[in-house]
Amino acid sequence: MNPYIAPRYVLISVVSIFLFTYCGAQTQDDSAIVKDFQARVDKYMGLREKQHLLQQKRDVAGKIDDAHLTAHQGDIFTPAIAEYFKKQIETTMRGSAGEKIRTSLRHAEPLTTVGLKANTKYPNNLPLQSTPPTLLLNLPLLPKALQYRIVGSTLLLYDVHSDLIVDLIPDAIATA
Amino acid sequence: MQIQKTLLKYLNLFGLCILAAALLGRSLQTVPAANTFTASGSNGATRGVALQASSASTLDLKLPLQDKSVRFAVIGDSGTGERAQYEVAHKMEAYQQMTKFDFVIMLGDNIYGSHSPQDFIKKFEQPYKPLLDASVKFYASLGNHDNPNDEQLYKPFNMGGERYYAFQKGDVAFFALDSNYMDPVQLNWLEKKLKNSQETWKICFFHHPLYNDGRHHGADADLRTQLLPLFQRYGVNAVFSGHEHVYQRIKPENNIYFFVLGNSGKLMTHDFRGDGERLKGFDTDQTFMLVEITSDKLFFQTIARTGETIDFGELPRNMMVKDTK
Repeated sequence: MNPYIAPRYVLISVVSIFLFTYCGAQTQDDSAIVKDFQARVDKYMGLREKQHLLQQKRDVAGKIDDAHLTAHQGDIFTPAIAEYFKKQIETTMRGSAGEKIRTSLRHAEPLTTVGLKANTKYPNNLPLQSTPPTLLLNLPLLPKALQYRIVGSTLLLYDVHSDLIVDLIPDAIATA
Repeated sequence: MQIQKTLLKYLNLFGLCILAAALLGRSLQTVPAANTFTASGSNGATRGVALQASSASTLDLKLPLQDKSVRFAVIGDSGTGERAQYEVAHKMEAYQQMTKFDFVIMLGDNIYGSHSPQDFIKKFEQPYKPLLDASVKFYASLGNHDNPNDEQLYKPFNMGGERYYAFQKGDVAFFALDSNYMDPVQLNWLEKKLKNSQETWKICFFHHPLYNDGRHHGADADLRTQLLPLFQRYGVNAVFSGHEHVYQRIKPENNIYFFVLGNSGKLMTHDFRGDGERLKGFDTDQTFMLVEITSDKLFFQTIARTGETIDFGELPRNMMVKDTK
């Protein structure tokens, strides 16, 4: 065997093993993060259900005020989960649909991000910005009662039925 | 003598009745419109008519009113509660009496601003009261100014508690979509529904336009990326959207006809870009549309608040548009 080829093979093997291990670890990390996100969403849904039942018992009119749920910013979008979402969004924006998504977001109704807080009602009379469908294809699926919403550069986890901002990631989307 | 007088009185009364009936009959008689609309339908040429309505304003109808056709009206971005919305609604009422359309599709932004029970009265029930009283049904889709919770459950919007839904009228299938949130679940639902639909005509309506020459919002290109392949694969014939506060008829794309009508309440004047894909645009007044679908053609007429017909024509199913204006 050519003495120059052997080290080359060794180098390629080492790089391959490194890349394989690194990418594998990444995928494993990502799937663990998504699993954690889904567990947190499930927990929220469970709390929500409990709150709903309590409210029904308490309130004769059956009016639900989910504002008493004990959600705080970061409860669902933990730093690791927020990082994962930012990465997914960035990858989508860099992809072939990126320019179309940016254009759609630029054409949307100008919205102010002032007053957006986790565990508060979505600001009254603030129109909903449509969430780009291609972006939704690249984010973890949600139960019917929850939606991802974009306000400016902030990504919200929005409880549709109680009109509540469950959690948010500021500066999640670069629209420029 | 007394008998003669009574007889004369009755004769006069009878004469007056004959005269009144003749005058009324003449005013209701159909006369060809100045800009007669011809369409080569299966039963020969049909003609547009100008009728004298009881409100004394002349209504210029361009629809053929064929037997067993599906007739409906279209409104978009209507729910302002302001005078212009009421005036458009008044015109719709007059045309409903002539055409007997029995439902209206709503292209979103059905209720602007607050969503109190009073708002639903002021911005929907009051302006369209004569239509609601005439049992005309409304089918709403959601816009970015709508409150999904309140509107999905609002019975007169016939949404069945869902963000998106389908219904059929005769041989026409309608798909009301929620373009605010086109998630994979909705896309799968739409694909399944379109695939299983046996109707000859398939019509989709939703708020955000896939093509749009308006400067304010423009087209939703990302939404188009997801929806257009489905529309093409499963033979959607026509698409109605709102959002941009103007009227536009877009150049057909892959045999699909696109209309944008977002000015039944709101209005964005002088909003058009110089270039673009529209065959017809109107941005100086509020409008609504009348649509009639027969087995092989879609007839449309777009009417401004003033009563002026600003666009009309016939669209053969899966063929290029035959522009009549």
